[in-house]
Amino acid sequence: MNRREFMQCAVIMISGASAAQLGFALSPEQETYLATAPDYIAGELNFLTPAQRNLVAAMAEVVIPRTETPGAIDAGVPRFIELMAGDWFNDQERAIFVAGLADIETRIPVDYGKPFHLLEASLQLEIMQDLEAQAKDSAWYDFANVQRQFISDAPFICQVKELTIWGFFTSEVGAREVLRYEPMPMRFDGDIPLGPDESTWAGPSF
Amino acid sequence: MREAIQYDFDAVVVGSGITGGWAAKELTEKGLKVLVLERGRDLQHGKGYRGEHAPDWKVPYHGKKPREFYEEEYPMANRVYAFSEATRQYWLNEKQNPYVVDKQDPFMWIRGNTVGGRSLLWGRQVYRWSEMDFRANERDGHGIPWPVGYDDIAPWYSHVEKFIGVNGKAEGLPQLPDGEFQKPMPWMALERTIQRRLQKKAPDITLTNARVAVLTEDLPGRSACHYCGPCHRGCSTGSYFSSQASTLPAARATGNMTLKSNTLVERLQYDAETGRIASIHVVDTETRERQSFSARMFFLCASTVASTQILMQSTSEQFPQGLANRSGALGHYLMDHTLGMSGMGLFYDDMDSYYYGNRPTGLYVPRFRNLEGEDENLDFLRGYNYQTATLRMDWQTSFNTKGFGADLKNSLRKPGPWLFALAGFTECLPRESNRMYLSKKLDRFGLPQVAFDMRWSDNEVKLRQDAAQQATRILRAAGAVFTMGEENISPETMSLPGEGIHEMGTARMGNDPAQAVLNKWNQAHDVPNLFVTDGSFMTSASCVNPSLTYMAFTARACDYAATQLAAGQL
Ligand SMILES: Cc1cc2nc3c(=O)[nH]c(=O)nc-3n(C[C@H](O)[C@H](O)[C@H](O)COP(=O)(O)OP(=O)(O)OC[C@H]3O[C@@H](n4cnc5c(N)ncnc54)[C@H](O)[C@@H]3O)c2cc1C
Ligand code: SF4
Repeated sequence: MNRREFMQCAVIMISGASAAQLGFALSPEQETYLATAPDYIAGELNFLTPAQRNLVAAMAEVVIPRTETPGAIDAGVPRFIELMAGDWFNDQERAIFVAGLADIETRIPVDYGKPFHLLEASLQLEIMQDLEAQAKDSAWYDFANVQRQFISDAPFICQVKELTIWGFFTSEVGAREVLRYEPMPMRFDGDIPLGPDESTWAGPSF
Repeated sequence: MREAIQYDFDAVVVGSGITGGWAAKELTEKGLKVLVLERGRDLQHGKGYRGEHAPDWKVPYHGKKPREFYEEEYPMANRVYAFSEATRQYWLNEKQNPYVVDKQDPFMWIRGNTVGGRSLLWGRQVYRWSEMDFRANERDGHGIPWPVGYDDIAPWYSHVEKFIGVNGKAEGLPQLPDGEFQKPMPWMALERTIQRRLQKKAPDITLTNARVAVLTEDLPGRSACHYCGPCHRGCSTGSYFSSQASTLPAARATGNMTLKSNTLVERLQYDAETGRIASIHVVDTETRERQSFSARMFFLCASTVASTQILMQSTSEQFPQGLANRSGALGHYLMDHTLGMSGMGLFYDDMDSYYYGNRPTGLYVPRFRNLEGEDENLDFLRGYNYQTATLRMDWQTSFNTKGFGADLKNSLRKPGPWLFALAGFTECLPRESNRMYLSKKLDRFGLPQVAFDMRWSDNEVKLRQDAAQQATRILRAAGAVFTMGEENISPETMSLPGEGIHEMGTARMGNDPAQAVLNKWNQAHDVPNLFVTDGSFMTSASCVNPSLTYMAFTARACDYAATQLAAGQL
């Protein structure tokens, strides 16, 4: 962990700010009361083709699948990824993302005879694991790479993972049904029992 | 002769932030007709808090920063933890309201944008100064002696604490006097464990409740905290102290306050005949219309730097170097606290314990270095304290793990080990070379842009180094299995001057008019009807968060000024 990263981590801790409230951009129309504004993922989609949407959804579901609790698709993560890739990425990041999609879109049907989203789960996982193995030296995996500026040259697979995980645990479904969400605690108790299978609180908690 | 003049108001208060709100309340409650002038836009309590209680999924980008936009319009403010789209409305747009940023030695000037100033954004940490703090300059010869001691200000601390509502725990420490406390907030199990170990292995360290202007008991019109967090989006139940929730309603209730928002003060008009300020000149930030108001007295509460800027802009034949600046001290002796994570430890204790609710503060370690009669051999002066933070690792601290699928999902959703961090705040010596001044560049109102000249001295560097070493000692004694400390400490790696957002000085108080701008009542030595009660008056910095001290001095100055006014002395 270098000093800068350490300090960024530090900022979170001193302030008690959750990662999610460290920054986001309101359009002028959204500058009303945020709590009653439409969900971010209700925004209009115009970045991906229908085929790319299938691909992104399938990849997100490999990262966070539906189990006994909802998964990435249930939580609207594919919409989140499309909005973020279209609006939030800078040009360099968007180029990596577009090239990553193109690679899977062209390579997989040739190698496997079907597009990614129609493959068996085990094959999808294998493809994603290969991508991760190739990306393993990226700074994205560094211990301290949390609470920071997005790493602009992070490989495609890291982009997909980060947007999926971020989008999922900050979604309403992820927060309420996989984590625990209590916006109005009314009291503070510093010592409640924690069972071995219980989840963390969803933000903006800390 | 002055009696014959018709005044628009008894008093004008510039600024409606933490100190301006206090001046407005105190003066109006004494029956004076007060005009409050605020450059920021109007912001209603409750209704104006657009980001309050918004869940992550309502938020654009679910909370990821729009990077280019922030760098372009809020290059300094966006570095502050509390800056986000849920709070952006409270911060001054730096592109529209520039100051001169030195590329080599930047100063981070953090400004509010609304009625209420930074009272909406602040961290609410409130600590009394001790007699040791008030004697520090006298004792080691840096700066000039304070004209005020702890006994003078103690009743005003009480006055302020009772009104704002402070929760905390009495500890009986001479270096951190106890105040009027509401019941303290509960601790986490790990914090108790750490405290037990420190009592044995580092008995010189006190771990106590942070003292915070957040209610744990109801006050009139304000209710006890409901632990929603994060506070800096605004609190419609008025559970933390802000001008909106507390002082401005009290001032309004008297019927004596007129508050004008979008009104930027340009300068004060000195009348050589009476030797007093006659009027104040303002510009409407929207229409650019210019106007002036007369009053019997004037309170500058526009915040450190901003108030001095007004004085520097108010030159006249009698005061060519800036109003009330016969001493030449105006603009100099600028101070701030350095801040940063001195150390952080990983803990596997109390893994089966968790918390419920968002406690809007950590704990606190009061100053323990260079106490009177102790630590005689240290190679630095003054001291520091730590604010602490306790946090459980979760998906936010480990989302970049390898793997996919159900296992990844399951590991990310569960709490990991604990992190406990010590954030050191160090005192800064008053030095003449650290200063602000007016540059030749103009802003959109045709007013000069402020420039800064401030660097950390050797003493601040040594304090930070010691704070890092001691943090490691404390974390080990506390039982951390792994610790990480602030390393390679130098002025280049430390927080920027101003980044502590505890900027103070530039119009210091002192008994000698040849050395100080203000007397012990926050009254200008050179101009009797002029008072400056924001952080500008600070003669030294202590290491504790300053706003409680600004409030206490403001209330005391108002009391003095009203008495003098009634006696015909102003
Ligand atoms: C994120 C954050 C955390 C903080 N945490 C703490 C803490 O925990 N404890 C603590 O003690 N302090 C803390 N502070 C610092 C604290 O906010 C300030 O010390 C305090 O607000 C100073 O009060 P003030 O009245 O001098 O200035 P402000 O509250 O800034 O108010 C000044 C007002 O004057 C107005 N103004 C400026 N110039 C003009 C002009 N020319 N004409 C008209 N109006 C003008 C401004 O718009 C503003 O509204 C924190 C600050 C920030 C930003
Ligand atoms: S945590 Fe308490 S003080 Fe902070 S915003 Fe919520 S209710 Fe207000």
